[in-house]
Amino acid sequence: MPRDSYLKRSLGTLSRRIRESRVLLVGAGGIGCELLKDLLLSGFGEIHIIDLDTIDLSNLNRQFLFRFEHIKKPKALVAKEVAHKFQPSAKLEAYHANIKDSQFNVVWFSQFDVVFNALDNLDARRHVNKMCLAAEVPLVESGTTGFNGQVQVIKKGETECYDCNPKETPKSFPVCTIRSTPSQPIHCIVWAKSYLFPELFGTSEDNAAELDHSEDSDNSDEIANLYKEAQALKEIRRSMGSPEFAKKVFQKVFKEDIDRLRGMEDMWKSREAPKSLDFQKLQEESASVESTISCNDQKVWSLDEDFVVFKDSLDRLSKRLKTLQDTAKDGVNSILVFDKDDVDTLDFVTASANLRATIFAIEPRSKFDTKRKSPSIHE
Amino acid sequence: MEPQNDASKSISADEIALYDRQIRLWGVKAQEKLRSANVLLITFKALANEVAKNLVLTGIGTLTIIDHEMVKEEDLGAQFLVREDQIGQNRAQAAAPFIREMNPRVQLEVDTDDVHTKQPDFFAQFDVTIATELDFATYTTINAACRIANRPFYAAGLHGFYGFIFADLISHDFVIERSKSNISSTTQETPTRSIINITTKKEKEKVIEMVTKRETYSPLILANTSPLPEEFTRIPRRRRQVTPLLTCLRALWEFQKMSGGMPTFSHQDLELFTKITRDRHQELKLDIATLDSEFLRTFLQNLGSEITPVAAFVGGKLAQDVINVLSAREQPIQNLLLFDGDKSVAPIYSLHPFFPPEVENVLPAVLPVGNPIPLDGDPIATGPTMVLPHANS
Repeated sequence: MPRDSYLKRSLGTLSRRIRESRVLLVGAGGIGCELLKDLLLSGFGEIHIIDLDTIDLSNLNRQFLFRFEHIKKPKALVAKEVAHKFQPSAKLEAYHANIKDSQFNVVWFSQFDVVFNALDNLDARRHVNKMCLAAEVPLVESGTTGFNGQVQVIKKGETECYDCNPKETPKSFPVCTIRSTPSQPIHCIVWAKSYLFPELFGTSEDNAAELDHSEDSDNSDEIANLYKEAQALKEIRRSMGSPEFAKKVFQKVFKEDIDRLRGMEDMWKSREAPKSLDFQKLQEESASVESTISCNDQKVWSLDEDFVVFKDSLDRLSKRLKTLQDTAKDGVNSILVFDKDDVDTLDFVTASANLRATIFAIEPRSKFDTKRKSPSIHE
Repeated sequence: MEPQNDASKSISADEIALYDRQIRLWGVKAQEKLRSANVLLITFKALANEVAKNLVLTGIGTLTIIDHEMVKEEDLGAQFLVREDQIGQNRAQAAAPFIREMNPRVQLEVDTDDVHTKQPDFFAQFDVTIATELDFATYTTINAACRIANRPFYAAGLHGFYGFIFADLISHDFVIERSKSNISSTTQETPTRSIINITTKKEKEKVIEMVTKRETYSPLILANTSPLPEEFTRIPRRRRQVTPLLTCLRALWEFQKMSGGMPTFSHQDLELFTKITRDRHQELKLDIATLDSEFLRTFLQNLGSEITPVAAFVGGKLAQDVINVLSAREQPIQNLLLFDGDKSVAPIYSLHPFFPPEVENVLPAVLPVGNPIPLDGDPIATGPTMVLPHANS
């Protein structure tokens, strides 16, 4: 019997429509590899597959199209090459690219009969959702975590869309998103709260619940750089209490680290590059700003106001830590911990997060909003 | 190929890096149990392709695949491990290179014998036996051999949009982790499941309970004639929700016993098959209205067919259950899962010969025997290992 005998028997006339259709698969990871196999063997005539990632050792336990010798190669291209053998008569097109690139516009999306999302992040899911609604192409959305998973069919005018219901903000973020490539206000808040604050006033960042280290091995070079940065910050911490302390911290995290990141050109091909801040210039511009602005928690502070609150709260926290250390018994390591109800810590996190947001062209947030977005560490 | 896996050594840094994502899910201890496991997979068609992929990627110790048939052209439609130029080769041999590529650490054994020629003691060497795409008599024979050897047994098969998984784990102990509840646990959770031990540990602010449970099973030959649990038959609404697939699967096995093959669309076959399904449906105490002719027609249309998405789902579920059983974690299937790809539902029915309702410590249909996979860690009673003669021969 011919190879499509069972498909015809189970699917009937539908098997012909499947053979004549052109579909898009966004993502060649855990779900993508499985789905590509299933689509090919189900007889889809033309499949386009896109993924911007390269293959890593830790992918091999579930992304069955990839082998040890494929490590560092583009996922989309290897997936195409390996999976094509499952159904040699199918037409396969692979793109090693970001689905958010402008070349993949609404016209491009509208050539597909169905789009399948096999993505790992909210941002790209939202983007494809929007494009599919605009192009009026049905979208099948999917996701897994641990033993759980879900599939959702999205069709304009017939079902709810991906963004029709607000999605819970993820409770943890990949380290690289927080430390190198923030794209949302929450990323800046988590950076200020779970990285900058503990490095200056607490214990190391490594145990923060908001930081997801599961992708660290995928980015080991950058992780090593980030580790060096953290070590340098620890050095600066020693000068706490001196008149230069605020300037040193500022220059480190809002100037030097940003300039280093900006130098990594690959990172900014499809994102806006960060622009570092100038301490001296802000110092002059903000001369007339009163530090009492920090009491206004509804207003989104201006850059100058963030700068003033940053310095002022840094000073308040430094003094508190010094008092704690002076009164501590021998051998007790005094630290401060972030608490959204502790005004000094909240001021510092709000101002630092906003300074960082400005650098990455992200919208700053009011102190009120920042507090709401900051889960208490006791939760 | 030289086996690269030495079970006597503890897990290496390379393996931890490779299996990182799954170790985060089930822990290093479970991974160590998996890497020493020896699994038998019978009949190498679409469903077994999926199961093999999943178990091999997971990093079990040894996988033995057995199939005596040749690759046919129609096999290419849903069996991704074989290619066109392998038509005419033995199915298991043809798939072997791809399986080895997927994870060279796993030792793969290929057996081209007909499984019907195997003696009962053949099955004793495997930690788990997975029998796919066989007829009822062969399933029950292998099930009996596994019982004698005190080894867990799975039967599974596909019919186009439909599939099933049956589990006979004899008596299986497993651990689940959960946050401690204010309400104390009952010992007998279901007629087949009891809690045999609870230990607690503190994780941050929460108290986590490590609960050891025991599930007791029935062999396929008894489960196949057993009633549905009362929870599915007492209320009309629940009764209507029971999938007619259960009836159809039983009827198919009955039909095979009577006529030696699958029902065709001939008038004679249709009449006989319809009669058998009605009888089985009534035996299950289900309303005859839920057995519509449209479902029967679709079921018959799908007989003997295999399509990849259904194979992927059933094969994924089956492999995950085997992984859970080998690592003695999580609730296993108890004891029949039916998958309807048309409706996208996969209900599980616990089918056992006899349960007096509301009686504590009911006597299971077969005496519980010790768990073949010993739990390490905390001292947990696994019960004495008793090898029983086959209860139904």
